[in-house]
Amino acid sequence: MTDDVVRFLDDFRAAESASVEVLRAWIDVCQLDGLRGGLRTIAGREAAHAVLAAERLAELGAPATASVPEEVRAAAVARFGSPSVPDEEKIALVLARYPDDASSTREIAALAARLADDPETRELLRLIAEGEAATVAWLRAYHAGLSRRGGAGRPPATPDRGA
Amino acid sequence: MLRDGAPTEREAPRAHVIEALDAFQAAERAGGDAMARWIAVCRQPRLRGGLRVIRARDLQHAALAEARLRALGGAPAARISRELAGLCGVIGHPEISDRSKLAMLLGRFPAQAPSPLADLARRLGGDAETQALLETINDDEVVALEWLREMSRVLEREDG
Repeated sequence: MTDDVVRFLDDFRAAESASVEVLRAWIDVCQLDGLRGGLRTIAGREAAHAVLAAERLAELGAPATASVPEEVRAAAVARFGSPSVPDEEKIALVLARYPDDASSTREIAALAARLADDPETRELLRLIAEGEAATVAWLRAYHAGLSRRGGAGRPPATPDRGA
Repeated sequence: MLRDGAPTEREAPRAHVIEALDAFQAAERAGGDAMARWIAVCRQPRLRGGLRVIRARDLQHAALAEARLRALGGAPAARISRELAGLCGVIGHPEISDRSKLAMLLGRFPAQAPSPLADLARRLGGDAETQALLETINDDEVVALEWLREMSRVLEREDG
């Protein structure tokens, strides 16, 4: 179980760190004020998750060695940091990875459920999973708001929570 | 966690937003620091795990609010209220039980009470970026409060 936890925390830490870079590149060129505001919070969440995973990893006596392949990271930064790729397309790209609300948290929740002997890591992961779910729910609702407007008119400041 | 005495809607929107962001960043920073002191003395590993996430998010929220108020031309100057300072003192106290801390913290946020942060966000129609920032930060606060309520129920059940 410890090996599973260590591997997950290390991979997750690396992925969240890379996400922060991608999100910052997106924020720099984002054309929609409301989306930019939400992306700032989401980037903050991802940064906090990376730090929390790194701290827990260190407490478990494991080194942080995982990294996102450079070509993957660079391609994502280039695409999401491109001013010529529409924001709506970028949101759709993110959401394509999460076809339903549970898909963003399935792996974390499954691991947390097996951590009866490590309640500290379990609760840490449960709350992190809730944060990931909030991110996907907000992006999904924001995207639905954009789609309903068909790209015309004023974009939504915040998602329609009934979407 | 906005302080008492929020500005009225009649004030200039930008001054209103800056004042609210300043109060919020001060409260979140104080809350994050108090959480760190609680974590250091917390006797329950599962509670400690969640408190770590809440502390990290509180400090992120403080940084986000400060960055936004600076972008709007303001500078952080707010101090937390005496009431909040008192609560932070209790939260970080090594001699007070985890259950008591949970009860005091949750007593400040009744389950059905409207969120001041969400309420403020709704009134920021002319500033979509700040509005979305506060809405998404409020999502974190809702998650944290639900988790704290669950922990409170669990500890209460176990202690009888």
